[in-house]
Amino acid sequence: MAMRQLGMALGKDVAMVVVAGCSSVIQGMGPKDSYNYPVVNTAFASGPPVAAGMARAYKARNRDVTVVVWAGDGGTADIGFGSMSGAAERNEDMIYLCVDNEAYMNSGGQRSGSTPVSARTSTTPEGKRENKKALPFIMIAHNVPYVATASVGYPMDYVDKLKKAKEIKGFRYLQVLTPDPYGWLFDPSKTAEVAKIAVQTCYWPLIEFQEGKLTVSNESLHCLKGNTRRPLTDFTSIQGRFKGITEENLKSLQTYIDSLWDRIRSMM
Amino acid sequence: MKKVMSGNEAVASAVKLARVGVVSVYPITPQTTIIEKLSEMKAQGELSADIIRVESEHSAMAGAFGAAAAGVRAFTATASQGLLYMHEMVWWVAGSRMPLVMVVATRAVGAPWNIWNENTDFTQLRDAGWIMGFAMNPQEALDMTLQSFRISEDSRVFLPMMVGMDGFILSHTKVPVNVPDESTVDSFLPLRNQPYVIDPEDPVGMGNMFQPQDYMRLRHSIELAIKSSHDVIREVGRDYNSKVYHEIDYSTLNVPYKVDDAEYVVVSMGAWSGDLMEAVDSLREKGLNVGMLRIRYLRPWAEDEIRKALRGRKVLVLDRATSLGRGGPLHLEIASTVRGDVEALWGTVTGIGGVSVGKGELEGLIMEFVEGSKSEPERRFWYYPERVRRVELRTPREVE
Repeated sequence: MAMRQLGMALGKDVAMVVVAGCSSVIQGMGPKDSYNYPVVNTAFASGPPVAAGMARAYKARNRDVTVVVWAGDGGTADIGFGSMSGAAERNEDMIYLCVDNEAYMNSGGQRSGSTPVSARTSTTPEGKRENKKALPFIMIAHNVPYVATASVGYPMDYVDKLKKAKEIKGFRYLQVLTPDPYGWLFDPSKTAEVAKIAVQTCYWPLIEFQEGKLTVSNESLHCLKGNTRRPLTDFTSIQGRFKGITEENLKSLQTYIDSLWDRIRSMM
Repeated sequence: MKKVMSGNEAVASAVKLARVGVVSVYPITPQTTIIEKLSEMKAQGELSADIIRVESEHSAMAGAFGAAAAGVRAFTATASQGLLYMHEMVWWVAGSRMPLVMVVATRAVGAPWNIWNENTDFTQLRDAGWIMGFAMNPQEALDMTLQSFRISEDSRVFLPMMVGMDGFILSHTKVPVNVPDESTVDSFLPLRNQPYVIDPEDPVGMGNMFQPQDYMRLRHSIELAIKSSHDVIREVGRDYNSKVYHEIDYSTLNVPYKVDDAEYVVVSMGAWSGDLMEAVDSLREKGLNVGMLRIRYLRPWAEDEIRKALRGRKVLVLDRATSLGRGGPLHLEIASTVRGDVEALWGTVTGIGGVSVGKGELEGLIMEFVEGSKSEPERRFWYYPERVRRVELRTPREVE
């Protein structure tokens, strides 16, 4: 879904770097593939530097090509974090797209640094003990030209942000929430709905950071006032991974979400 | 023009002359002065290449790979822990059949920490699908770096190539080096050639999931490319000799020295081959018929040249590297090549972690081999120069 919308948003003159993850498999079997973009598949932690090398080569060859890294939350929050931080610090010219399904879904749904607290995964059957790594804020702290979050529940917002990112030079970071029916345990027909509820409950803030300024996107504006939020239980009860979550753990998840919004308010 | 320079400076000069598009590097001793020299050239406007100062060696190889895939000549350099840290990408580049060049200024591998020379970091990559050359002096480091771009980009090869040189002994020792001028190098080194370019103009994908049968065929194609690289290396070497520099013969992969009439042949690789040649000369003066075969290419492995040079001789193999539990990697390679064709075969591991082995010690070792091989035709052992013999072998519990 997020891949299809990427094609709509970016148009031609794009080269993709795909790190290990489900997207390395869904291209279909070599030696042919099903993408219309040139694609370099590469090892887990190497997406950003491969893209940096490509971008520098295109520059040397006077070719105007947008290089896009496509990585999962495992490739971003965990194994590829160092190389992404390095590329961001050097302000390498690329769009880094983190497709966040909140676990290592390609290998069967193990916990990642981006899995939320209390979510059950195949390596945390009792529920994860730690909070989700706040990657967008970490990328804002790198002070790169553009940071944004999106949800596949709001495709127009996602496409607009991709289009905006394409017009900017330097390191651009987008993190798109892509609920996974098999890992989150809900019916596949509800993917867009779950992705919307994540935003409506303020679990997943839609934000943009550009030229040193943080703004909250329209779909998330209601979260700035706590009393107009949809209840968090609407998000947790629609998925099997939070089944049996205790009152205490639900409170702890709510506290985490509140702290995200406190931080957003303090940065505006 | 001859200039006095270190091996690292010689390599930096070659990178400049090869019109590299992107250099992607992370510092590590003893390779660091290559990238410092390149950065200096860049700051002074002498170098056209873009330099990515990445945050790790894994990214250094990834950056070179990305640049090469997008259509320009790419270079990186590393050693020891750095080479181990980029290990995954070293394999990925070969599997992608992507031509690029890396120089390895060899160094021992930890633990414990040791910055001195040993070739194990280089030799442990011989299964990765790269072309692997090893220089004997700074001149060869420059010449082979230049040649490696052409070998790597030859359509019969299309594989990455690494050039090894002994850390400090070559990387930091200044000697006169012939540096060719730009037009000479341009006449030898054509424009970049590669199997595919990642570009939206012609959207191809590489590296996605392959079915077992396709994967196996692709891996076999690398085996065949390494086989066909033998002739490419000889051809490129002859052309280099005729167009660029002729004082070192590059028409063969490996280099025999006084082998024709030799009863005993010592096999070696790298800088200490210079000391070994002196030891050979000195022993010949004393009436001993000894010669040397220097391995310049670990991959491809020139069975034909090696078998011919060693047939019927008594052979001593020197390894400045280990395949722990199995002695030295060169010895293993030689043993599987000559099989029953030699009168004696000894393999010795020495000079590990920077232990100095000079001409006198090499002579002593050869004499031990000459005497010992009479009664013991096959032997594998670690050879300690006198001052190391006095140091006790320690276990981890005893080290404080």
